[in-house]
Amino acid sequence: MRIQQTTGALLLMLGLFVGCHRPYQFTGQQYKRLTIDEKAAADSGTAALLRPYKQKLDQSMNEVLTVTSAALDKKKPESGFTNMLTDMLLERAQQKYNKPVDVAHMNFSGVRSGLPKGNITVGNVFEVMPFDNLLVVVTVKGSMLMQFLNHFAQHEDVLVVGGIRVIMKDKTVQSVTFNNGRTFDPNQTYTIAMSDYVANGGSDASFLSNAVARDNVNYLIRDAFIEAIRQQGKSGQPLNPQTDGRITIQ
Amino acid sequence: MGSAAVIGSLTPDTLLAAGKKAATLTILHTNDVHSRLDPFPMDGSRNAGKGGVARRATLIRQIRSEQKNVLLFDAGDIFQGTPYFNLYKGEPEILAMNQLGYDAGTIGNHDFDGGIDNMKTQFGKAKFPFLIANYDFKNTPMDGHTQPHKIFTVDGVKVGVFGLGIQPDGLIPKNLYGDMKYLDPLEIANQTAGELKKKCDYVICLSHLGYKYNEATVSDHVLAAKTRNIDLIIGGHTHTFLEAPVAVNNLDGKATLINQVGFAGIYLGRIDLSFEQGKGHSVKDGKAVSV
Repeated sequence: MRIQQTTGALLLMLGLFVGCHRPYQFTGQQYKRLTIDEKAAADSGTAALLRPYKQKLDQSMNEVLTVTSAALDKKKPESGFTNMLTDMLLERAQQKYNKPVDVAHMNFSGVRSGLPKGNITVGNVFEVMPFDNLLVVVTVKGSMLMQFLNHFAQHEDVLVVGGIRVIMKDKTVQSVTFNNGRTFDPNQTYTIAMSDYVANGGSDASFLSNAVARDNVNYLIRDAFIEAIRQQGKSGQPLNPQTDGRITIQ
Repeated sequence: MGSAAVIGSLTPDTLLAAGKKAATLTILHTNDVHSRLDPFPMDGSRNAGKGGVARRATLIRQIRSEQKNVLLFDAGDIFQGTPYFNLYKGEPEILAMNQLGYDAGTIGNHDFDGGIDNMKTQFGKAKFPFLIANYDFKNTPMDGHTQPHKIFTVDGVKVGVFGLGIQPDGLIPKNLYGDMKYLDPLEIANQTAGELKKKCDYVICLSHLGYKYNEATVSDHVLAAKTRNIDLIIGGHTHTFLEAPVAVNNLDGKATLINQVGFAGIYLGRIDLSFEQGKGHSVKDGKAVSV
């Protein structure tokens, strides 16, 4: 102790003579976790700073994109609602990536909400797709496309797809028909528009790391829906998607 | 104050009387606020009515009015999670942090979500520095817009603060972080903390590594145990709600404190530190005391 006092004094002395930092020793601490809730009033300056952002945000969340003639919900094995969503992804992916896309896929569990009857706002679409997943295009060999379809047929007991018609039996794909006229060949390559979450190996799809190629233009799936539904709304027709038998269970 | 001969014979008490000073410093911190500028809506969900940056501003101002020495830090993932980010790409988040008087932040994985060009644009609006020692932004738009560490001198006490970011590979899409290079956080932390400790009385790491993992992945626990010279780790990424900081012994057997306050600005962490000039020993017990 004596030595340390002297050291302290020497350091103090050095500080006096050469003007460098005189050290402080950390001697104690106390901790408190403060809850932020209604007990604290909103700071007026910060609220004023945010107000224009919030007003514009509320306006954009409240923007009416289209009108539905009935409430839309996801259903197994197929629903007009999820067919519409994957068809929108297929179309938007071809535009954004400027190349043909053979298949569009969504996680059934990733469709988080339906749409109500009546006005459909941007906020409603945020509820359908709250995640900020990107729409990516993965190029795979036919053999991997089949592995992919079978994986989700088994993983989720359902396939939410666009661009193809599928016949399934005992959670196994029996045949695939492409809307664009291509035929299935395990050695040909095919393009799939999907969530970056799945492309990254989410939903246990880690086999996709062996895909032929993957393109990413940083385009949110939610933005694809918003843009496609807004465009549909301009037609003046209510949104009324139907099942089309693209999934057949034998 | 007297000559060397006189000082050499003084007892600690007389040293204090001779001008040896005590200081207190309040550290306030957030992590993973994720664009949660408004409180959670009153929709009956778990966090309904909690959070809100304007309320946080009020609390911080209150604390600053009671305590003159305050440093306010954020441990990353400022961006992404509410439509504010989708619409404005992070601008109101950064301007609000300016308004609240943040002293420094570090970079979280979701801060890349708008791309590295957007990071430069939005972080460029900050009046506080982004500290990150293990991301090398050479050949990217962010080059020269971060610094590894900063020394704050508060009431005579020197506080060295540095930042650490998480491994981007497999977590952040490559096209979002571009040519940014990730450097080993343990190596960089030891080097940086060692240099800071030579000049500073207290060393803080703002970390976005994550609190703790089952596997060997580097985390705040691993960081604390495998380094020297870090006094406090303000963590993020794992959205861990710690009720109080956790002490982990470092390579020298000294306590390194780890804290993290969940996400979304539901909580503000507050750590009050006491210092005495020239005192021989720091406290042995690194455990935090709730007040």
